[in-house]
Amino acid sequence: MISLASLRSSARSVLLGLAFATSVIVAFGFHVLAWTSGGMPDTLLRVLFHLVMLVGYGALWIVAVEHAERNRHGPARTFWALTLFALGATVASVLTLLVARPPAAPEGVDPELLLGFDLDSGTPIVLAAVFKMNALGLVKGIFAVVLLARLRLLVLVKRTRTSQRNWNLMLTMMAVSAIATAFTSAGSDTDRWQTVLLIAALVLMVVNSFRLSWIVSLSFRQKMTAAGLSLLLLLVLVAGLGVGADAVAAGAFAPGSHAYLEHFSYPLSSFFEQSILFGILYCSTTILSLLFHLPTTGDFQQRAGERAAMHSLAHQVGDVFDAARLHEAISRSPVDAGCAHAAWLTLHDEEATSLHPRPVHGHGVDVIRMEHVVDHDALYDQVAADRKPVVLEQAVADHRIKALPGDGIGSLVAAPLIARDRVLGVLFASKNVALGFERDEVETIALLAAQGALAIENSRLFKQQVERERLARELSIAREVQRRLLPQNLPDVPGVGLAAAWASAHEVGGDYYDFVRLDEHRLGLIVADVSGKGTSAAFYMAEMQGIFQSASRLAPSPTEFLTHANLALADSLERNVFITCIYGVLDTREETLVLGRAGHCPAASVHLAGGATFLRSGGMGLGLDRSDLFRRSLTESRIRLQPGDVFALYTDGVVESRNASQEEFGYDRLLAVLERNRHEDAHDIHDAVLKELSGFLGDKDYDDDMTLVVLKWHGITGSRPTTGRTGRKDRSGEVFSGAQSEPHALTATPTAPPR
Amino acid sequence: MSNFSVGFRTTGNVQILDLRGELDAHTAAELEAAIQKCQREQEFRVLVNGSNLAYISSAGLGVFMAFIEEFRDRGGDIKIAALQPKVYNVFDLLGFPMLFDIEASEHEAIRKFDTVAR
Repeated sequence: MISLASLRSSARSVLLGLAFATSVIVAFGFHVLAWTSGGMPDTLLRVLFHLVMLVGYGALWIVAVEHAERNRHGPARTFWALTLFALGATVASVLTLLVARPPAAPEGVDPELLLGFDLDSGTPIVLAAVFKMNALGLVKGIFAVVLLARLRLLVLVKRTRTSQRNWNLMLTMMAVSAIATAFTSAGSDTDRWQTVLLIAALVLMVVNSFRLSWIVSLSFRQKMTAAGLSLLLLLVLVAGLGVGADAVAAGAFAPGSHAYLEHFSYPLSSFFEQSILFGILYCSTTILSLLFHLPTTGDFQQRAGERAAMHSLAHQVGDVFDAARLHEAISRSPVDAGCAHAAWLTLHDEEATSLHPRPVHGHGVDVIRMEHVVDHDALYDQVAADRKPVVLEQAVADHRIKALPGDGIGSLVAAPLIARDRVLGVLFASKNVALGFERDEVETIALLAAQGALAIENSRLFKQQVERERLARELSIAREVQRRLLPQNLPDVPGVGLAAAWASAHEVGGDYYDFVRLDEHRLGLIVADVSGKGTSAAFYMAEMQGIFQSASRLAPSPTEFLTHANLALADSLERNVFITCIYGVLDTREETLVLGRAGHCPAASVHLAGGATFLRSGGMGLGLDRSDLFRRSLTESRIRLQPGDVFALYTDGVVESRNASQEEFGYDRLLAVLERNRHEDAHDIHDAVLKELSGFLGDKDYDDDMTLVVLKWHGITGSRPTTGRTGRKDRSGEVFSGAQSEPHALTATPTAPPR
Repeated sequence: MSNFSVGFRTTGNVQILDLRGELDAHTAAELEAAIQKCQREQEFRVLVNGSNLAYISSAGLGVFMAFIEEFRDRGGDIKIAALQPKVYNVFDLLGFPMLFDIEASEHEAIRKFDTVAR
């Protein structure tokens, strides 16, 4: 899509082009008129002609400047292009003159006839002269404009307000002095005012031709090229196009071309001459200046190199987080800066486990070899102690260097990389001569090392941040996965009320509870606790889930199940990890609950009529013993259920939770709150325990994984107790759905990991 | 800040570790380091005195599990003595008394070591 701005700029170009084309046509018409009428047209027409020419070339100037600004070239290319253009213009002039030219100018022939126009008035005598005049005018006019537009860019390198003003003043003066010649007929002498204007223009030309700021930033080779090309341009300008009154002599390749131009338009001719003169001046100063600057090029280049190296490193600080690339950039920087012949970098590894930094990258040097040649550790110790660069003026004489002549270590600088007050490593820079480092070079190397330290620190911090974010993301995924391992819905068992909650101290935890329908009348349930916390505990928790979901169906009795589980876990559990659990089977037909305890906190049991106990059957934790001892340790608790019986299964996070004064919640408090609330349904009892617990903890957060499952036996239909609240069974669905929100209510406040 | 410490004592040929404070997931590493030190020094007869141990978590219990087998294989043992009732309860719930020699007093435990040694 073409934007409005580009549309407008192209419309402008078309308009400018039209203006120039009009001036070309008008010029042609003007001279045809002069030819047909046999004399110069009257003053009004001449004024109009000059005005149209002024506007036309003004338009061409704008186009040329804009084109040059858009397509900027280096100095060498500018000179080269101008040389080619000047050659082209010369050739075009010569060819134009050759057309319709008598084979030879015989002796005594009127030169007017040879040229084809009246030398006094400038009136064309033959039509060919009209064409020649216009063609030459066009070629030379365009060349003058392009020459100035291109040189303008060179003059205005590192422009200041003054330089810009001088340039504009020169152009104006050139134009004014050219216009002043408008009413001078061809060949006549210039008057006093014209001379004054011309001298003013000349002075400004000289001033502008000393604007050569672009020279300093060139390399030695670029300077040589630029000098050669500007000399070439100078020659072509002098020989090919020529200047001034003796243009017949100067324009040796195109004699007479000057006369044509002068008679085409005196102002254009004057402007052309002035432009060529400026070109010659500028080329001359360029050549001289380049020659004078050649010897200092090396020093300047080093400065430029230092700047570039610094800039490149500064760029890396924000950009490069790839350690290898960064190390390369840092070890290259002293060489790039021209301060060293070779350089290498030693760094501590990120965890800083080693006492001394190790070489990581070298530029112009074999770091493996350097490990043998340079005592990195000793130099590091000195640099780290001084916290400033160590300079070995005569490296071979130093006891820490065992360099052979082939190693190219004449002098050595070791600069510390310090970031946030830590020495990250050392930047070594070497020269192949003794006493090779000047003070400013050492300073530059120190600066590069400091910059490099910053970049490394930055990249490390960034990496850590990314890693942290990745871990956080992974953990939150793990948390989600773990949550799915817990029952999504509590089973709806007639005669039984259930409520459960689960929380972990960290993102993931080792607590687990679950239910399984063994058959129509039997429900298996489990509460388990993996020792330790966090990720490893979470993996074992997941394994426990798998075991529960599969083994409980095959071996439903507590002793059988726990024995199976212990066997299954034996291989995968680490030595110092064990799992405690309570596993139970509730039989609604038999109205029994059989519990097996493997090292776990004993289940609390409360009867409706009162009387609360912990069911402490025997059994050691899963994974503690791989032999038959485990099975022998197991005993089961078989409970004949009475309607209204309440059981609480929980992990040690509940009873071991401590308040601000380090007091544990404890077994007694748990039993008491259960007993107090035994008339409530499972959901309300569950709520009451959590409320009691959070009241006890006060402002303190939970600091352990914690699970609480409350089971209440209401009795099977028809034998429902008369005591307690009625309609519980009908509400049981509600109870369960209510209980579903519990895990979220509780887990919504995971505590930060303790420091 | 850790509120757990391990003190080293030697009685005869038994290395005694005096535990003080709370042994949980964060401090378990200290006990681990202490037992590893015994392991390095070939002191496989270790007696853990828990008279000043106020609390132990499952992670703390795990440390004993990690080493007991090797110590017994090397002809030694890790015995535990003088636990506070509340801490003993944690050991007991987990079934540790079936796996470890847990004695009421340090003296008793040393006597046990000596009995085996003879």
